[in-house]
Amino acid sequence: MRRAIESDVCIIGSGISAAMVADRLARTTSARIVVVEAGDETIPLPERAAMRERFLRYGENPWGRDHLEGYEIEGPLQSRSMQVGGLAMHWGGVTPRFSPEDFKHRSMFGVGTDWPISYEDLDAYYQEAEELMGVSGEQGPRELDPRGKPFPMPALPLTYNLELLKGWASKAGIAMWSQPSAKNSIAYRGRAQCCRNDTCSPICPVGAKYSPDFTWNQLRGANRIRLVPRTLVRTLVLDPSGKTISHAVALDRDHPEQPIEFHAKRFVVAGGYTWSSHLLLLSAQSGAPDGVANSSGLVGKYLTGHRAVQGFVELPMRLYPGMNEQHSLVTKQFMRPAAGSTFIRHDLRVWESSAGRTARLTDDGGSLMLGDAILEDWRARTKSGTARVRAYYDVIPDRGSELTLDATRKNAWGDPLPKLAFRDAPESVALRGPTEDSIRALFASMAKAGDGTLLRRRSTTFRITRRVVAAWGPTRPRASSTRGDGRTIMRICSSWARRRA
Amino acid sequence: MLSRRSFLASLAATIPLAVLVRRAHAASSEHLESDPETLDALAAAVLPSELGAAGTIRVARDFRDWGAKYRENAELVHGYGTSRLRSTGPTPLTRWTRQLDELEAGAVKAHQRRFRDLTVAQRAELVRAALEGERLDRLPSVAAANHVAVALLAHFYDSSEANDLCYGARIGRQTCRPLSASSRKPLPVIKVRER
Repeated sequence: MRRAIESDVCIIGSGISAAMVADRLARTTSARIVVVEAGDETIPLPERAAMRERFLRYGENPWGRDHLEGYEIEGPLQSRSMQVGGLAMHWGGVTPRFSPEDFKHRSMFGVGTDWPISYEDLDAYYQEAEELMGVSGEQGPRELDPRGKPFPMPALPLTYNLELLKGWASKAGIAMWSQPSAKNSIAYRGRAQCCRNDTCSPICPVGAKYSPDFTWNQLRGANRIRLVPRTLVRTLVLDPSGKTISHAVALDRDHPEQPIEFHAKRFVVAGGYTWSSHLLLLSAQSGAPDGVANSSGLVGKYLTGHRAVQGFVELPMRLYPGMNEQHSLVTKQFMRPAAGSTFIRHDLRVWESSAGRTARLTDDGGSLMLGDAILEDWRARTKSGTARVRAYYDVIPDRGSELTLDATRKNAWGDPLPKLAFRDAPESVALRGPTEDSIRALFASMAKAGDGTLLRRRSTTFRITRRVVAAWGPTRPRASSTRGDGRTIMRICSSWARRRA
Repeated sequence: MLSRRSFLASLAATIPLAVLVRRAHAASSEHLESDPETLDALAAAVLPSELGAAGTIRVARDFRDWGAKYRENAELVHGYGTSRLRSTGPTPLTRWTRQLDELEAGAVKAHQRRFRDLTVAQRAELVRAALEGERLDRLPSVAAANHVAVALLAHFYDSSEANDLCYGARIGRQTCRPLSASSRKPLPVIKVRER
């Protein structure tokens, strides 16, 4: 027997973008809103301290059964997590905005693609999202860090360690400030102040870090939405015109033999960087042979993300690792290459670190230590401190960097799973070497400025992020399956979400 | 009365593997609880003396509690950038209780005394002998430690207490602390003399 659920707006996915959309719609319209989530309900806040304890002691996943079985896919999937609240249940809570020049790469630097919108267009929407989540931040130099209004909350205070490291960066000629984060520097909207538990990712036990479940709880409490968990949307069905979604066909994981149809005037596909494209491609049908909203053929293409160079610098200063290890300094000083120079562009963050400063069992000669010897050895190695430095740099994706349907792997209900593959555009390949050399030289100069030593450094492998949306920018009007306000909201919500850590 | 090994052997002959493993874990945990002296003696030999007698016993007790609450095949935190899921491995408790038995046997063989009755230096020597050939370039995770002595050390040195002891400062890593205090240098640890 087929069930049907009617609404004005059907939001597919319950992650951070979906929460922003639902909150805006609930505040500004009287629309009946249904949210469909493939995963389970998340762990309630009162149970998170116990889950955190098991994570700390045993490394266990603190989110219980937050995934679907049989979803082992090929490629760099960011996370298996699938639950009410999405990946943002275990995000780090870091909320950097884009910079104005992100939108004008082609015209400013001759690489990549310009967006059809500007930073100024987005500023008010960033603000709205930051107020909803509760972002604590420090205004950076205005020429580097423009914003129309102040942060909703004062910045998370710099720890004693970060204050020292800020002074060190200043000696190296780098102005750094407190990383904006969706963590409460003061009690905010019924949620607690941060108390430096330092397990923001994967789990905040006190609710000081924003996660979408808070928005869902509020909206459900006010009876403004209906959230349907454990329900996997398998296809979007077009109406006879072929231009509008008629309904979504889903599967109740508790009763897979009884399909559910979601009928709505508007559909918002907010399943994140993998599952939104996956659903659109899965929805191929008569009139849309390559998938829904894919007349351009660009759904799943130009899959992008980020790469970083990371290093550790030993400094002649006494640091106390553990004061708030997930908080950092940030600068945008390296976001604007000089006109005519090679396009080398990256952020820079600095953390306290215990790398090379943890207890060990053998001394430099390889002899086993026991008893007091271990502690004495450890103390001797903590007279100086270590800073972690990391720079994410721009990666320009190739069209062949893509999400496709994998004909060889299917889920339990016979749907092909996605396959992810990343490929740099030729210009990105050419820039990688000079960029990483430049970043390493920067780290070395920072070490020198602090009379320190660059201990080790490495490049990270490519990591997919929600920045995939950026590649869709120029094609979005043709690719979008939403219209009017919905399109605008999706654009806004996706924009800040993709740069979160 | 059956010895623990005889008990485990008899279980193996009659009970399905999963049940056997659960019972072996429980039996090992009970053994550690009912006969804590060997582990306490090991703690006194490998942990820093600054902890004092009460401190080492407390750390050993917490270690036993860690072992008792260990869950096999529990899902580990998801890796970043992969869809592969990982789970905890078999209980380390059975291995650790066997190793404690071996330390006992080694003490009797070498000194004709129980492990707990040896001097700290003698106990440490037996531990060194037991760890001969082990790769010990860094502290592993507790569950991954091949030997109970290394597991105990890993357990302690991963703690906030150890971090504070090393730095001589009340850092309180991964504990709930006032945000307002984060900007100041951590206060020194005040040592309380044991009576």
